[in-house]
Amino acid sequence: MSELNIQGLSYRYERRQPLILEQVSLTVRTGEIVGILGASGSGKSTLLRLIAGLETPEQGTIRLGARVLSDARVEVPPADRGVGMVFQDYALFPHLCAGDNIAFGLHRMSRKERQLRQSELLELTQMTSYARRYPHELSGGQQQRVALARALAPGPSLLLMDEPFSSLDAELRQSIRTELRAILRRTGTTCLLVSHDREDVEAICDRTLVVADGVWEEGSASTTAADHEDKH
Amino acid sequence: MRASKIIRRYTNGWLIASLLGAAAILLPILYVMSGLLRPVNENWSAVKAYLLTDYVLGSAKLVLSTGLLATFMGVLLAWLVVGYTFPLRRFYRWALVLPLAVPPYIAAYTYGTMTSYTGIIQSTLRNQFDIRLPHGLIELSSTRGAMFTLSIFLFPYVFLLMRTYLERQSGSYIENGRLLGRSGWSLFTRVVLPISRPAIIAGAMLVTFEVLSDYGVASYFGVQTISTAIFQTWFGMYDIDSAMRLAAWLLVIIVAIFLMERLLRRNRRYGALSSRSKPLQPVRLRGWAAAAATAGCTLVFTIGFALPVAQLILWTGWTYSKVWRADFAHLLVNTLTGAAWATIIVMALAVLSAKAVRMFPLAGAYALSRLMTSGYAIPGAIVAIGILAVFIALDGWLSPLYVWLGRAEGALVLSMSLTMLLAGYVVRFMATGYNAVEAGYDKIPRAYTEAALTLGHRQGGVFWRVELPLLRQAILTGAALTFIEIVKELPLTLLLRPFNFDTLATRAYQYAIDERIYEAALPSLLLVALSLLSVAIVLRLERGRVR
Repeated sequence: MSELNIQGLSYRYERRQPLILEQVSLTVRTGEIVGILGASGSGKSTLLRLIAGLETPEQGTIRLGARVLSDARVEVPPADRGVGMVFQDYALFPHLCAGDNIAFGLHRMSRKERQLRQSELLELTQMTSYARRYPHELSGGQQQRVALARALAPGPSLLLMDEPFSSLDAELRQSIRTELRAILRRTGTTCLLVSHDREDVEAICDRTLVVADGVWEEGSASTTAADHEDKH
Repeated sequence: MRASKIIRRYTNGWLIASLLGAAAILLPILYVMSGLLRPVNENWSAVKAYLLTDYVLGSAKLVLSTGLLATFMGVLLAWLVVGYTFPLRRFYRWALVLPLAVPPYIAAYTYGTMTSYTGIIQSTLRNQFDIRLPHGLIELSSTRGAMFTLSIFLFPYVFLLMRTYLERQSGSYIENGRLLGRSGWSLFTRVVLPISRPAIIAGAMLVTFEVLSDYGVASYFGVQTISTAIFQTWFGMYDIDSAMRLAAWLLVIIVAIFLMERLLRRNRRYGALSSRSKPLQPVRLRGWAAAAATAGCTLVFTIGFALPVAQLILWTGWTYSKVWRADFAHLLVNTLTGAAWATIIVMALAVLSAKAVRMFPLAGAYALSRLMTSGYAIPGAIVAIGILAVFIALDGWLSPLYVWLGRAEGALVLSMSLTMLLAGYVVRFMATGYNAVEAGYDKIPRAYTEAALTLGHRQGGVFWRVELPLLRQAILTGAALTFIEIVKELPLTLLLRPFNFDTLATRAYQYAIDERIYEAALPSLLLVALSLLSVAIVLRLERGRVR
């Protein structure tokens, strides 16, 4: 796991459109879980896509640990960034079962290593008995766990989560949040999570960033998950 | 800086390969267009002075009359089966698409013979009922024959598009029209027609392009069109320059029609405001109205499908043993292997460029895809001339290599081979394969590709492990449709085939031209059977979309 450092990042979708991100700078320390809160269209998901390498920034630098992922000259392709991502609607491959979805990013390992890692992740997310099921045979919560396991499997230096609870109903949300925080803590994952729901962020994250009208500010830290844990 | 990073990021094997493919496809078309810039020869002056006006008028007359009649039939029948219920409606909902399975050039000589003095209709009336029809009453010949045949066998394009549109998106508009007191004719003209305009125009355009491309029907009925003129100047006068000039002019007309279509559809934004449109509840017809609706559909179905197919089956029975010889198996092998190779190339190129278009998020990629698929609107004869010219030039460049390999100086190797015909098929039918793959890609969320990229796979890995398995159905559908279109293709095959290379289509046409109509029945019937498969695929796809 490594520290994420972003300096002066700007981005716009098309040339004549206004900037959707303007001179954004932030740091996520190693092992820290940071939440980004903001309304739709505020650019928070775009920030994750830029970090993952799915979009090319107009300006700015993205560093992960000692590596430069993107600056004026360098643009590391997504496959080489070592950044895992959980997509809003999970994007589980419909033609692969849960186990194969989790093993999808382990193609550089030997078969034996791959099987071992797959079982580890299935166990971590309590999905062992569902390994042979296809995504459409899983509930929303189970799909979310598979998506998390798939993103964690290659051992990314940073995990990005884009609205990970938006497809879940309120009750399930509650239990999954607690589970997710436990898993992230257990694996010591550095994580950047995006949500428009304050409760999501407060339940999971150590620290919150709030985006409003293009301004990125540190949120009030009074009610973050870290505080809850401290109190206990 | 960002632009250069983006270009670097997306410039890869996929893009380069598909750009090369696009160039290869566009080259023959551009070559034809360049014909307009070359100096004219003596022949052309004669063609221009005495024949060109007739050709253009012949084409225009046929396009206008067929276009109007086919559109009228398609629109009326589509509204009938969507807006009303009557006996056999569910059957005619799909059965009225079946005339598409009868290639018009086959229908032309089938009907030409059936309606002649010795044909089944007149001889039955004469021998069984002693009725003698006045000469010229029902015989199909010249422009009347071509217009009838092309309208009856092409109207399903309009029918299918209009019916799909009405079934999927018109429910609330038409019901509102009914609530506001409109019914019958007034509902049809004030609501149904205006809202269906895009579907009607799209259908009418397909008919127009088919008529402009037609060679078989016009030449059988002796109608002078630009397409038949291209054949005449090429094979009659052996003047390829004038043929190319004619092709270029036809291309100009087609581009003009294309632009006109754009203009006609310019301000239509009333397609569907929501994807959750309510299906239309049809009104029940009773008594005479119901009987008339069933009778009308039955008449069109009988003329457009049942009658010609029954006639072909009967003729096949008469000549089966004579036509089904050792040589026929060879014919089948020619047809199927040629079509199979071309289909493989089309699908490979289609997948390659659809992937490149998906990866390259700029408008240029979309333009590339449109250019690569422009062949569908360009008549086979034009594609053939472009391909021939390019291949002869290629043979010229490769001449030193041929000499080195021991061939005579100036030998035509590529342009006498099957490669040339395959290239023609690829240019002409790229659209069929590409559109199927593109539709398949549209159904795969981009997040799948992005998820695979963040999991450490490169574009190649993403394609093989994620996209290809999900595209399988679309690729198979595209391949089946392309294959069948190629098997049916006549003018391109006639012009580009190597010496002594016959397919089902060319053999059927050859028999018909030689007035051996009964012998033409077996290859024609096989072509109809294959085309039925393609219609079944289209109907299945469309049913899936309606659901």
